[in-house]
Amino acid sequence: MKMFTFKGGIYPPEHKELSRDSKITDAFPSTRTVTIPVTMGGAPNECVVKVGDRVVKGQILAQSDKYISVPVHASVTGTVKKIGPHMVTGNTEAPCITIEADGSDETAYMAPLDPFTCDEKDALKRIKDAGIAGMGGASFPTHVKLSPPEGMEIEYVILNAAECEPYLTVDYRTLKEETGKVVDGFAIELRLLGAHGIIALESNKADLLDELKEAVSKAGYADDMEVRVVKTKYPQGCEKNLTLALLGREIPAGCLPAAAGCLISNVGTVCAISDAFRFGKPLIERALTISGGACETPENIRVPIGTNVGDLIPEVIRLRNGEVAKIISGGPMMGFAMTNAMFPIVKGTSGVLFLTKKETSLADETPCIGCAACIRACPMNLAPVLMARTIRSGDFEQAEKYGLTDCIECGSCSYVCPAHIRLVQRFRYGKNVVRTRKTEAKTKAAAAQSSGGTK
Amino acid sequence: MAESDKNEIYLSPSPHFANGVTTPKLMCTVIAALLPECVYGVVIFGVRALITILISVAGTVCFEALFQKLTKHDITVNDCSAVVTGILLALVLPPTTPVWQVLLGDAFAVIVAKGFFGGLGANVWNPALTGRAFLFISFPVALGASWLDPATDAVSSATVLSQIKEGSFIADSGTYLQYFLGNRAGCIGETSILLILISFAFLVLTRVIDWRAPLTMVATVALLTWVTGGDVLMAMLSGGLLFGATFMVTDYATAPVTGPGRLVFGTGCGLITFLIRRFGGYPEGVMFSILIMNSFSAFLNKLTVTKYGYGRRARKPVPAKKTVAEFDVKNAKEEAVK
Repeated sequence: MKMFTFKGGIYPPEHKELSRDSKITDAFPSTRTVTIPVTMGGAPNECVVKVGDRVVKGQILAQSDKYISVPVHASVTGTVKKIGPHMVTGNTEAPCITIEADGSDETAYMAPLDPFTCDEKDALKRIKDAGIAGMGGASFPTHVKLSPPEGMEIEYVILNAAECEPYLTVDYRTLKEETGKVVDGFAIELRLLGAHGIIALESNKADLLDELKEAVSKAGYADDMEVRVVKTKYPQGCEKNLTLALLGREIPAGCLPAAAGCLISNVGTVCAISDAFRFGKPLIERALTISGGACETPENIRVPIGTNVGDLIPEVIRLRNGEVAKIISGGPMMGFAMTNAMFPIVKGTSGVLFLTKKETSLADETPCIGCAACIRACPMNLAPVLMARTIRSGDFEQAEKYGLTDCIECGSCSYVCPAHIRLVQRFRYGKNVVRTRKTEAKTKAAAAQSSGGTK
Repeated sequence: MAESDKNEIYLSPSPHFANGVTTPKLMCTVIAALLPECVYGVVIFGVRALITILISVAGTVCFEALFQKLTKHDITVNDCSAVVTGILLALVLPPTTPVWQVLLGDAFAVIVAKGFFGGLGANVWNPALTGRAFLFISFPVALGASWLDPATDAVSSATVLSQIKEGSFIADSGTYLQYFLGNRAGCIGETSILLILISFAFLVLTRVIDWRAPLTMVATVALLTWVTGGDVLMAMLSGGLLFGATFMVTDYATAPVTGPGRLVFGTGCGLITFLIRRFGGYPEGVMFSILIMNSFSAFLNKLTVTKYGYGRRARKPVPAKKTVAEFDVKNAKEEAVK
């Protein structure tokens, strides 16, 4: 078995054994209410319902006429109770629609559409109408991703089943339980792009290899897609590293994967695509992993979008009393620490972790000793220690010369640092400064040009 | 950095994981790697060596704590870096060094070379070597011309390196073996090449040190000695070359952090060592070569920094099975265009 990999990266404890044997079970919030953010990926949406309206599962709640946007659908049938700000992932408040379910099974799905005979435009429209956005975390509208810019030909579509974040097992379970649906959704993407497909599994999920291969050939796609195994290490699932590992192609600095003829898709997303065509079902529920040392019942669950994590405690999620030190939305390497559990599960939430004090790192920073462990760990071939030093001295231009903007914020450097220096955290800050300065310079230049024109 | 509210829920930006390697752990690994040299030094040079080592460690730790107390800094001697400096300095001193000179070297190492520059990680020159250089220049007889021979317990002023320089040295196979095992005159920790090689392997395998700088340094000295017709084997076995390459060239704070930078750094150390040994005023050049190259570290970092999207752009894509034919057609077209 050929194993694909890249240079650098780290080997954190996987902790996948906690939940990898747990079947994805349906769960419902105990309060029977969901809090759905008005915008999940793309441009801000406009609300099309008002308080007191009765909404049906699958009905559009909010949408925008912008191209880079996806509508948001009701994930339960019931009454709109409140429209207003609510805490979301990232500890910020965002406008949300609160719906109380009335227990009815009524649905308002679209009519099924055959993805292989329909017009390409209709297919992309269906993906947009179903509200599908990347379910790996970034929530980028999928229909935009599937329409690459003019002159950029997509040769390969990679199904990212690396799932390199520790604890998370939802992609693994989805592949195991809904193999057919994954292959179908992936085939739809391939058809739209006319590309060759690669399903990339991390070696710790290699037990799925035969099942997947069989499912692919059974569905008749043996010529269109293949399954490859990549080495289990973090951040193997990052677009740039995965492309380099699988194809030996480096996505040019500052470019999208399309610049290297590639497109990377998420397991949950292709499932949603399949559902959108076969059942006309919009993206109104998602599977995710609930895990962590402070969680008594690590498991994989499927919940309506907008379910507050707090509403699953203690019926679905049982916690060890007093042991929760961190609540994380996402994985331990790139997820957000939350102040409390009252935040909704959105399209991009792949997991919620409850970590104990022991598991999480809370040590204070000590001086950098120049050991260069961060350089060895960096999957992007950067020198984090030097970038951090320049940022510390306020020299952002030098940091940019050192490759600051190529940082993928995977956190490998902070993970290995023996001095516990907040390297990646500084880079996020530094990237922000660089971005702000660039926009400022642009507006200044534009202003100078326009004033020059009027003279 | 993590902040806690009343419910003891911590907030901090990701990542929320760390691999558990800490600065004190790294320092303790280095101390563990130095122990065989310490023990062997005491075995061949007797209790004088033990006293020198213990005094030196106590000196560096106390001076560092005192300096941090006086300058109103947090006292950080529990990071064990001062212990490493103390052991290193003792191991590169002759066993006959008077106690007060050892303490003077300690003070210079941790206060002048380390504390004045901002403490751990901020020093430009290796503290232990700076301390030794200070003593070496101040007390040239005690440090450079009184070597205790473990076999006869007599002090002589000549070493193999000074004999080589004068051209009066003739080696046989027995001498090589003796020098490899380490039963000879010299500084406390630098005599046994065998033990140093074991320490080197241990540190490289535990990924505490990088192989690049030590290997290029030793290789450069060996190559230049060979080219100029010298005794390559003796050049490597005598003096402090291997000890310096294993423990001093790999000092984190004072060596470059990038891989290519370390290669250049090691080569520079080797080159200067050779030049001093061959043409300089001193028989041994390891100490000064490393200190001179320390001055270049920051520049080497800047010159050799690695980046994404520049190094491996030329790598050929691996075509998928299905589209091999298409690829060939495409490549042919592209070549035709060129």
